[in-house]
Amino acid sequence: MGMRVLRSLEVLKLGVVNYLDALKLQEKLVLDRKSHRIWDTLLSLQHPPTYTVGKRQTVHNLLIPQSELEQIGAELHYTQRGGDITFHGPHQAILYPIISLRDMGIGARSYVEKMELTMIEMAAQYGVKACPGQAGETGVWLGERKIGAIGVRISNGITSHGLAFNIDPDLTYFRHIIPCGIADKEVTSLRRETHSIFPPEEIIQEQLISCFARIFDYDNLIWKEDASVVIDGTE
Amino acid sequence: MALRLWASSTANVLKLSSAACRTHHLPSPFSLSRCFSTVLDGLKYANSHEWVKHEGSVATIGITDHAQDHLGEVVFVDLPEPGGSVKQGGSFGAVESVKATSDVNSPISGEIIEVNASLKETPGLINSSPYEGGWMIKVKPNSPAELDSLLGPKEYTKFCQEEDAAH
Repeated sequence: MGMRVLRSLEVLKLGVVNYLDALKLQEKLVLDRKSHRIWDTLLSLQHPPTYTVGKRQTVHNLLIPQSELEQIGAELHYTQRGGDITFHGPHQAILYPIISLRDMGIGARSYVEKMELTMIEMAAQYGVKACPGQAGETGVWLGERKIGAIGVRISNGITSHGLAFNIDPDLTYFRHIIPCGIADKEVTSLRRETHSIFPPEEIIQEQLISCFARIFDYDNLIWKEDASVVIDGTE
Repeated sequence: MALRLWASSTANVLKLSSAACRTHHLPSPFSLSRCFSTVLDGLKYANSHEWVKHEGSVATIGITDHAQDHLGEVVFVDLPEPGGSVKQGGSFGAVESVKATSDVNSPISGEIIEVNASLKETPGLINSSPYEGGWMIKVKPNSPAELDSLLGPKEYTKFCQEEDAAH
C-alpha cells in the first residue's frame, strides 16, 4: 500500500441561515479554499422558505407572480449554480461542500454521482430505497417522486452550492414551481415515505454529514458550531 | 518510464485517428482500467483542462476531451460577447452538465474576436467534438510569451494521469 495522505473535512453546523448570508459565506470560503487557507469544508444548514433559480435563470418555472412571494413568506434568488428552479425551506437538510475536486482527482460527473449516493445512503438508513436520476434528471428519486435535489457550481475546481434532502419540509411550497423544470413529477420527503420514528432533526442532519464523509472518503472530521466566528471572518 | 512511452505512442496513434475516434471506441489494447482521453499534438494545454490552438494572430480556445468526459453531457454553454477581453487564468464563461455549472478559464490573455454561436443550439458539440466543432472562443493574443508557460501534449497527458490517479 502506498502512503495515503489523511483527508480532513471541516464541518460547520449553521442552523437556519438566510439564503444570501449563506451565499456570501460560500463565496468567502471558495476564495479561502482556492488559496489553500482552509481545508475542504462542509456547511450543514437549513433555509427559511426560499425559491432559487440557476445560471439559466429559468424563472418561467415559477408559477406564481413574484409579487405574491411575500404573501406566502418566501424569497426568490438568482444564483450561478447548475440546475433549474427549486425550493428550500425548514426541515429540508442542506449540505454545501466547499471542496477541491482537483485535489480529489474527480470531475463534475463523478462529484454529482457521489452527492446522489450520499442522499441514497441517507434514505436507506430509514428503510427508504431511493435511486439516482435517469439521464438529464440528476437528483434522488423514488419512482416518479423526487426526495433530494442537487445544484452545484464549480469554479477553479472548487465546489459551492450542493444538495438538498427533504426530511419533512412543507411540500405545498413545491406547488408554486415546476420543480427542476420537470413537469409531471412529484416531490416527496422522508416523512412521506416511511413510518419510522425519527430522532431529533439535528441527529438526522448529522447522519447525512456522516454519509457524505463516508462516500467522499474523509478520515478526519473537525466539527464547528459557532457560525458567527466564520461569518465575521475573524477565524 | 514504460508507461510514459506507451502513453506518448498512444497519443501519436490517437493524433492519426482522432478525427474519427472517440475514447470509448478505441480497440481493446488501448483500454486499460482507465481509458486515455484524446490529446492532440500542435495544441497547448492549461492544467484547468482548456486547450489553445495558435495560428498566426488568432488563438482558438476550448475544453479538452478529458474535461468533457469528466463533465458529462453538456446542456448549456455561457459565453461572453466578442469585443471583451480575457486574462490568462481568468474565467470567460461556463458550461452546465449534470446540474453543475463549471467555470471555463482562458489559457492566454487577449481580445475576444469571435465566439462559437453553434454552442447555443448545440451545446453537446463540446462532448462530441471538443477540439473542432466544440471550440468556444477565438482570441487575439496580446502576450504570445504566455504560450510558453502552458503544457505541451505529453506534459498534459501525464498531468491528466496523475490527477485521475489521485483518488
